[in-house]
Amino acid sequence: MSTWARPSPIAWLVAPAALLFVLFFILPFGVMAAMSLFSGNPANNPNAFLTTRHYERFLFDTAGIYHDALWSTMRIGLITTIVALLIGYPLAHWMARMQSRLGHALVLMAVIAPMLTGIVVRTFAWMTILQDKGVINTLLIQWGLTDKPLPLMYNEFGTVVALVHIYVPFMVLTLTGVIGRIDERLEQAARSLGAGRLRAFVEVTLPLSLPGILAGSLLVFALSISAYVTPSLMGGTNVLTLPMLIAQQVGTSFNPNFAGALGVILLLVSLVIVVAYNRILARLSGEQGMA
Amino acid sequence: MISRHKISRRQALRASAGLAAIAAVGAPSILHAQTRTLKITTWGGKWGDVMKATVLPAFEKEFKCTVSADQAFPFVPKLQASPRNDPIYDVLHTNSNEQWSSLVEGLVMDKITAKEVPNVADVYPYAVSDKIVGVTIFTSAIGLGFRTDKGLAKPTSWKDLADPKLAGSRGGYIIPVNSLGQAHFMMLGKVYGKGLTDLDAAYKALETLKPIKLVDFTGQMEKMLLSGEVSMGVIHDSGVYRYDGQNQPVDFAGPSEGVLALEQVLNVTPGSKVKDLAFGYINYMLRPDVQKLLAEAVWYSPASKKVKLDAKYDARLLTTPAKVATLIQPDWKWYNARKEDIDARVTKILKG
Amino acid sequence: MSGATNKRPFDAGHAAYLALNILLLVFLLAPIAIVLIFALNPTPFISFPPVGVSLRWFEKFFASDEFMNALWLSLWVASVVLALSVLIGGACALALVRGCLPGRTFLTAFFMSPLMLPAILTGLALFQAYLLVGIGRPVWGLILAHTLVAVPYVIRTTLAVLHNFDRRIEEAAAVLGASPARVFFEVTLPLIRPGVFAGGVFAFIVSFDQFPVSLFLVVPKGETLPVVLFNYMKFDLDGAIAAASMVSILLALSVVLVLERLIGLKAYVKL
Repeated sequence: MSTWARPSPIAWLVAPAALLFVLFFILPFGVMAAMSLFSGNPANNPNAFLTTRHYERFLFDTAGIYHDALWSTMRIGLITTIVALLIGYPLAHWMARMQSRLGHALVLMAVIAPMLTGIVVRTFAWMTILQDKGVINTLLIQWGLTDKPLPLMYNEFGTVVALVHIYVPFMVLTLTGVIGRIDERLEQAARSLGAGRLRAFVEVTLPLSLPGILAGSLLVFALSISAYVTPSLMGGTNVLTLPMLIAQQVGTSFNPNFAGALGVILLLVSLVIVVAYNRILARLSGEQGMA
Repeated sequence: MISRHKISRRQALRASAGLAAIAAVGAPSILHAQTRTLKITTWGGKWGDVMKATVLPAFEKEFKCTVSADQAFPFVPKLQASPRNDPIYDVLHTNSNEQWSSLVEGLVMDKITAKEVPNVADVYPYAVSDKIVGVTIFTSAIGLGFRTDKGLAKPTSWKDLADPKLAGSRGGYIIPVNSLGQAHFMMLGKVYGKGLTDLDAAYKALETLKPIKLVDFTGQMEKMLLSGEVSMGVIHDSGVYRYDGQNQPVDFAGPSEGVLALEQVLNVTPGSKVKDLAFGYINYMLRPDVQKLLAEAVWYSPASKKVKLDAKYDARLLTTPAKVATLIQPDWKWYNARKEDIDARVTKILKG
Repeated sequence: MSGATNKRPFDAGHAAYLALNILLLVFLLAPIAIVLIFALNPTPFISFPPVGVSLRWFEKFFASDEFMNALWLSLWVASVVLALSVLIGGACALALVRGCLPGRTFLTAFFMSPLMLPAILTGLALFQAYLLVGIGRPVWGLILAHTLVAVPYVIRTTLAVLHNFDRRIEEAAAVLGASPARVFFEVTLPLIRPGVFAGGVFAFIVSFDQFPVSLFLVVPKGETLPVVLFNYMKFDLDGAIAAASMVSILLALSVVLVLERLIGLKAYVKL
């Protein structure tokens, strides 16, 4: 489809979304981005002046923690995405290929249930499982596999585990649609030509599910780099991500200007990654960008 | 005869409908003239339960107003973002450190005296000291909570937390977000150095406390102690005493160097349109009967000298001038000015 | 070689495949089992192993006006958000795929951006904006804020369905004499419906569990369940929040089940 064709009347359907975004996204964020360039809130404080010091504060990072926070955020996002993919793909494949309607419904419930637990309770459930006196360590010590409790919480490991748990359902639901649309006869054709099950999977199904893989990964990555409640509760002080820093600046340092600057930085970095992903996606799957 | 009945009933119905209409139109304006709304903030949990069930309804009845109580923490960012001449709260209830931050932003008043709130005359000196912005209505003592079944001796000094035997089973707070953590940090300066403002000593002492499990808020610390995840941790007395009667193997110790004050402070916003109600509310919260009710519900020490608590509360809370004298009030104005640097530095020290 | 089309031999490979998936399911469900244990365990803190079975936390939850009001508010806000985001997001996806809009790739990325921003900033920005404009914090403000963060999901799933759409079905209908409107309502819409509703399920869940945005936009006595739970947890970490969570899961799962029956997400899968 030529991208230079004139917009058809259907293009008008974008209007409600555009309106919603202009009013509820662009305008408020315009305000926030503007705030990031002020020393205070100009609406309330006549002494507020224009300054780039919030951005300088991040760029020069004399405190030594801001750049670290950005890398932590990206690193945790990447690891979470990869693990969620490794866990989500088999489940999605299973669900997509399942014949029984009941089985499908049950697995669907099981996959969606983690999303419904609620952010607070889910985190406390993980604490129960991962902490020193938690389920895993109690069992490991009882079975004599270790004599000291393993540090499974208050660090990046615990944070990634909890984040993966929340985001696997998103990955599964995205992948299951794509995998389900792959014609099984293609796999069977490969098999009847002599390929083993594994080879048929790797050379037929996997490449065809690539759009789904990239779409799901993008979604999980975007969500995990913006998470802050879970890392705060699971990471102790060993984990400091940019969203956590933003939350601290808003909630306890009462500095919405610096928080706004950090938000702009995070958004810019994320957008760059999204656009890059989309380019790779378009090239690999030969389709138009599917975010 | 019958027709006259019918007519008169219809007339009566019409008349009463007319009266009802007038009442419906007129009533709101009558109500509006009397029912003002007081916007406050409040904690949740047991405190919130008692407030909503007993304290606030009684206040509403006596002062003929409605109270709108926000429980969705954090409060100061919301107050900060609302217009100064129409603030989202009339009364701000928070800890001392946040009151000082709010003062710097012009969000709260700096001095409240007995002129505005008569019951201020009856409070202990710490409640309206120069370390306080607003009026303290309750306080807790920050000290060390510990498990009684781990063979630990009752701690007598803040330094007991650094005992090497406690490695991996001691608890503290994420300093940037928790005022107990911040107070404890300053205490390290006093215990290991020259005073509450000796940051170098505090940073060094923090290194010796590693490894330490850090949490966001006191509820988590309570659970860590109860489940045995930690054997000793920084906590306020209320957090331990509230389990009184439940046979939990936890106890509270006030170290010899002194306990830090965790004050519950009320203040009024300068832009409030119902300042008289706001002051009346603070006055109400300082009444001995109200103080007693809340103090015994959540084990806070009341700020009013005129409160007589039941024996078991009286024994453990700070209810005499002598006991109150052990409270150390940090200089939050000084700390808040340095908070950003301290936050960054302690994050670096305590990370991995 | 294997000529069978539907019957898979149950061999070691297949067993390993099943075992792996069941293990992964255990990973997904373990925390929920813990929550259930926690909800039934009479001790007032997280402990393992549990000491008994008791319904006191459920009683406490159902007896609490605060929890129940918050639960109903969350449910009906999520339902409205579901409807709104399906309409807005579905229309937007159609426009993106069929409308020949200039800058389509950029627009698609743009509509995804609410997902990438920490919701606390979204909440704060909207809060400031609402107060600046002077509308306070009405419920419809909360609903529209939730819709903002939910719409990207609907757009995504609808885009996925539209991409693999066989236009020839529509062309066939047109050739047979149907007007464009009729083609849309009787051919296109039913075929993309499962995708749109899959996004709707996401939207419902995302709104029901939404926390940071709600934090700033709720008013006293008008708080959503996640906000109430979070604040409760700060002071009282007992089984009531676990009971609340179990009830939420059961209620929301029923909604999803009903939707699945009606719309058939399996149809979405097989499209």
